[in-house]
Amino acid sequence: MIVQGLSVRFLLRGAEVRAVTDASFELRPGRLLALVGESGCGKSVLASALLGLLPGNAEVRGSATLDGLDVLSADEKTLATKVRGRMIGLVPQSAVTHLTPVRTARSQLAEAVRALKPDQDVDELAERVGLEPQALDRYPHELSGGMAQRVGIAMALAGDPQIILADEPTSGLDRPLVDRTMDLLAGLAEEGRAVLLITHDLAAARRSATDLAVMYASRLVELGPAAKVFDDPLHPYTAGLLNALPEGGFRPIPGHPPELTHLPDGCAFRPRCPVPDTCGDDPSLVAHGDRLVACRRPC
Amino acid sequence: MLSGTGLVAGYRRGVTVLSNVDIKVDRGAVLGLAGPSGCGKSTLAKVLTLLHEPWAGEVTLDDVVVRRFRHAAPRAQRTAIGVVFQQPRLSVDPRFTLREIVVEPLAANGFPAEVGDLAERVGLTEDLLGRRPHEVSDGQLQRACLARALALKPRYLVCDEMTAMLDASTTAALVGVVQEEVHTAGVGVLAISHDEELLSVWADDVQRWV
Amino acid sequence: MVDQWRRVGRARTGTPRLVWGAVTLAVLVLGAVFLPWLGELDESLIHYESVRLAPSLEHPFGTDAGGRDLLLRAFAGLRVSLLVAVLCAVISTVLGVLIGGLSGAVGGWPDRLMMRFVDTLNSVPHLLLGIVIVALYRGNLTAVVASIALTHWTTVARIVRAEVLSLRERPFIDAAISGGASRWRILHRHLVPAVVPQAAMSAVLLLPHAVWHETALSFLGLGLPPHMASIGNILAESRAAVMTGAWWVVAFPSLVLIATTLAVSGLASVWRDRLVPRRRSELAL
Repeated sequence: MIVQGLSVRFLLRGAEVRAVTDASFELRPGRLLALVGESGCGKSVLASALLGLLPGNAEVRGSATLDGLDVLSADEKTLATKVRGRMIGLVPQSAVTHLTPVRTARSQLAEAVRALKPDQDVDELAERVGLEPQALDRYPHELSGGMAQRVGIAMALAGDPQIILADEPTSGLDRPLVDRTMDLLAGLAEEGRAVLLITHDLAAARRSATDLAVMYASRLVELGPAAKVFDDPLHPYTAGLLNALPEGGFRPIPGHPPELTHLPDGCAFRPRCPVPDTCGDDPSLVAHGDRLVACRRPC
Repeated sequence: MLSGTGLVAGYRRGVTVLSNVDIKVDRGAVLGLAGPSGCGKSTLAKVLTLLHEPWAGEVTLDDVVVRRFRHAAPRAQRTAIGVVFQQPRLSVDPRFTLREIVVEPLAANGFPAEVGDLAERVGLTEDLLGRRPHEVSDGQLQRACLARALALKPRYLVCDEMTAMLDASTTAALVGVVQEEVHTAGVGVLAISHDEELLSVWADDVQRWV
Repeated sequence: MVDQWRRVGRARTGTPRLVWGAVTLAVLVLGAVFLPWLGELDESLIHYESVRLAPSLEHPFGTDAGGRDLLLRAFAGLRVSLLVAVLCAVISTVLGVLIGGLSGAVGGWPDRLMMRFVDTLNSVPHLLLGIVIVALYRGNLTAVVASIALTHWTTVARIVRAEVLSLRERPFIDAAISGGASRWRILHRHLVPAVVPQAAMSAVLLLPHAVWHETALSFLGLGLPPHMASIGNILAESRAAVMTGAWWVVAFPSLVLIATTLAVSGLASVWRDRLVPRRRSELAL
């Protein structure tokens, strides 16, 4: 999928919220792109836009093309019959609340399979995500957090989509479960799917991502191979986030992110930047080897 | 010292969540508590903050044995222990502004309802204080929750997965605020988290539950 | 490349219900308030020259067996019906909030006892219970209002109690207790403000119910005295007339009644939909 110039804004009473500004990136088969950033930076809105799940007061610009279809301008019928589940599978944030409490996991997974790709075996699908077929006979509240998350991933796989979109799939899970979920998502990428992981958990991203996109105040500020970005962050915001990790020095970035209603035209990170004087204040991305960075500091 | 000895607790008859737990939180130090989800860490947090009465065992607050819990606990005992929960959005009244959230404990105890330097310490701006929960991010809301927990200058602070929903920078900032309290006011902290990496930096001592 | 802002989201529904409900209700209420003043309507006079006239320009709703204009009568009746309904809704809601709120906030055996009492009250058909109360003190406004209010507060009480019970388990109540808040402070700072919208909502939903209840009592001859004719009284009087082919004597007053209840319910349902907390994504956070 090629995303180009994607912008999303919300019109509220007397205010305009710029949730996503001019995002361009690619989701390629075999790659896991992790989109990281603090809560409220617009990363979940980006995911909703790709699935056509934005609320009524949202407006979009740009395109997201997959197999010649622009999912951003597709109508509801196309989205429902071709895109959701079939082209893009969603791994929900909280799998337990995503399932209906009155039916077993099996009946819900079987329903998804029937609707999307009836020739699959439900047990086999469960085994592919590391779930014992017997566990499917439980009701959602009888599943542990990790099992529920696996059911969520199995549901996302039911339509055999090329793209898996996981929006904060690990929030509320403890570390071993986060690691297992990440390994599972990395495995899906290795099978040849394209995975977009949205998270605020840098450790989770580091474990599984092949590529990393860092989002700040509605814009992508750095995009590149995960290992390189983690080892040598080029954008001062990326560096700040890594320094805030317990193992990176545990130093918070001073100040607050700007309001999405009052974004500056130039670099939104400038007020918090440790070296603001040396830059050109241009928020667009420039190529830097195999990476893209929204910073023109001489490096 | 805030301590629990032989604590047994649960919610439904016959389902024990906490069985025979001993814990000691010293003043001026951070005790980390790590363990998988569902192991009873949150129940322990509720017992130690006097919000849930244990079935057996004793909670001792500065050498005084706590006899009653929730509303029945003396106000001085309840307010001596601050608490911050995992999900800031569920921990605040959605009708309140951030300012009202922060000063509510002061108002409830007959103190002047002024934010004072609390907002600055946790990094909340005047603009943010005027907003309601649905107009701010999780991180900003958790800052307000921490300010509320510190408003009455508690001697102990229980942080139950305080940073699980937060990004790295906000996590570092909030833990920094807590550490400031530990060093200047001698607050004793119980830091509950499943993030061992975090506890290794934050806590003086870590207890691991299986 | 397309570079225009375009709407993609799904629009919120409810606007037609809102507009139709508001317009209908406004017409009816204005009619109920002002129409009876326009024409002279003396319930005790019988106009022999105009008995049971079919609808015409002069009498859009026709006239009844007493030769009185039905448009004026129907709206005069609606005025009485609405007055009774509003009184009932207010009294039921106040009773329901007090009893349900306290029951939920106190909990324990007083709560269980109160809820069994509510169950018992609910197990008797409301109309039957209403009839018993009216029969004891028949024929005046207070008796009718009491009979409806005393049988309908249980619904509000149940809703409010359920809301209070679920609120009591929220972490923010724990945080308030930890902050030293007393039971009373939690009740009036957190619980009451949270249930007010719910309670107001159920009061509005009670309105159509109370209108029908009053109509039923009056139709059975157990309601208001003839000089305060509500729509129920009018319908009761008109029963016989239908047999003579004068359909309008029943049709128009009923229509006014149906339009009123539909408009109120429609508006209430739009309001309820808007009460549901906004989805977070709508605010882009």
